[in-house]
Amino acid sequence: MESMDVRLNAHAAAVFQKVTKIYHVGWTARRLVALDEVSLSVGWGEVLGLIGPNRAGKTTLVKILLSICRPSGGRIMRLESGLSDRSTLARVGYVHENPAFPRYLNAWQLVEGYGRLSGVPRGVLRQRTGELLEQVGLADRSRERIANFSKGMLQRLALAQALVNDPKLLVLDEPAEGMDLAARRLLDDVIRQRRERGHSVILVSHALADVKRLCDRIAVLRSGRVAYVGRVADLAKDTHSDETGPLESAVEAIYAGATS
Amino acid sequence: MKDSTIFATFVWLARDTFRQARASGVLAVLLVVSLLSIAVCASISVSGPASLAVGDENPDFLPRNDVDAADPRKLDQSGVIVADGTLGLAFGAIQVPLARDTKGAIQFLELLLAGGVADTLGLMLTLIWTAGFLPSFLDGRSISVLLAKPAPRWVLILGKYFGVLSFVLANAVVFVVGTWAAIGLRTGFWDPTYLLSIPLLLLHFSIFFGFSVLLAVCTRSTVVCVFGTLVFWCVTWSMNFGRHAFAASTDMVSESLRSPFLSELVDFGYWVLPKPADLGMLLFDSLGAQDHFGGLLDPEVLAAHGFSMWLSVASSLAFAAVVLFVSVRKFKTTDY
Repeated sequence: MESMDVRLNAHAAAVFQKVTKIYHVGWTARRLVALDEVSLSVGWGEVLGLIGPNRAGKTTLVKILLSICRPSGGRIMRLESGLSDRSTLARVGYVHENPAFPRYLNAWQLVEGYGRLSGVPRGVLRQRTGELLEQVGLADRSRERIANFSKGMLQRLALAQALVNDPKLLVLDEPAEGMDLAARRLLDDVIRQRRERGHSVILVSHALADVKRLCDRIAVLRSGRVAYVGRVADLAKDTHSDETGPLESAVEAIYAGATS
Repeated sequence: MKDSTIFATFVWLARDTFRQARASGVLAVLLVVSLLSIAVCASISVSGPASLAVGDENPDFLPRNDVDAADPRKLDQSGVIVADGTLGLAFGAIQVPLARDTKGAIQFLELLLAGGVADTLGLMLTLIWTAGFLPSFLDGRSISVLLAKPAPRWVLILGKYFGVLSFVLANAVVFVVGTWAAIGLRTGFWDPTYLLSIPLLLLHFSIFFGFSVLLAVCTRSTVVCVFGTLVFWCVTWSMNFGRHAFAASTDMVSESLRSPFLSELVDFGYWVLPKPADLGMLLFDSLGAQDHFGGLLDPEVLAAHGFSMWLSVASSLAFAAVVLFVSVRKFKTTDY
């Protein structure tokens, strides 16, 4: 297991240092600790798998990185700048775990529009929109309203809009949910291409097979804390659970609290 | 954050609002209302004297179906003029005798169009329909992706607000300019004050849509936005009208029965809240409604009780500005 002592000055696509998030829920404003001093970094050209049981804080962590949520404490660097520098978001792509887009738009309008919002120059946007819709297999449905799209098509569209600004950091929250085999292969290709170009990917997933196949490192969150960070290959060894056993048993051991 | 990205976001949100309006059907409904009104205006014709006024004086006149109007001797003696013009509708298929001169008839028609069709029917329809735009825009799953774009949050919320305003402005322009041009071409009366109803309609809408934005940011519920905005409009209208009625009635109540506390409370409510009745009065005043309806709210009577139209409009705008500021603050600090 790697050291969790993460320095903010590290050259990395994303750095979390002792990040805490506390929600106040209900009429009584009950404290709910979603993240508790999480320290983590994602290097350039690295694919980090972020896993953990439900309510572990995975989505909250990436939402804080994307300025969708505000942290209660700690420091975060995004593309080597602080969160207050929103211009870095122009080079970040995001696929929501359950994507939904304005139903009155068509696929072309959405991808092109979101590209404009990310500051992609008009000159290249048209060509890139066409290429991406072709790549995700929606070229023939590009003028059709999103309201008619299936979940799998929405996932493909979500991937296209996340790539329209050629992001240096791609955040994928459960991207394979609802995808067919062809789309999953496409997702694999996208992640590998990003890595080859020196761009970084954070993959939030429950599918351990995907994490094992695609990720360089893995971070396991449990109850808002980092329970494990390390190379995927080292996971079973580090957990002392079963060196020859499958990844699942190692992860289950972490979920159960065998390693902290 | 580049200014060009902020501008691009504003433009995209405005276009997005027009697309949303088209998909929701509100654009079609408003266009149908506008086209029907323009068609009605394009079918009218008038005959008779343009004005009954002699010099600066408005003389007495009688409608032509009055008993005394049939007696030329009586008319000569009294100097009363008979209004004998007609208003033709549906290309002359319906002939309506005028109760006054043709200029007044056209003015009355424009008053009905601006005050009745646009400021009441159009405003209510647009407020109800567009109240759902913000809650669907702020849906947690779709807004998350937009929040992860470089544009600051205030740009997103104000961009959507001004997008809806630009949609309303476009429809107001189509309706008012269309009916104005149709009336002008058919009758030769080109009254430029009618065009003032465009900014007044927009002003009226912008204030109440601002409140709708606040409800949307706080609740993200279409039902709350629709009913909340309508209830708020009714409450503020009652407060506004009630305050003027209260102020005017103090002259008729003996001093011993007056309550300074109640008076101050009503005044406080009046000045804090937006004033739809005053905005309506401003629209009616600018179109010369006092010649046709008398005055339920007479600005001159109200002025004696500390009423100022411009102060009223400024305080309504201040309310909208505060509500928008609170909405932006709330949106900026909300986790999605």
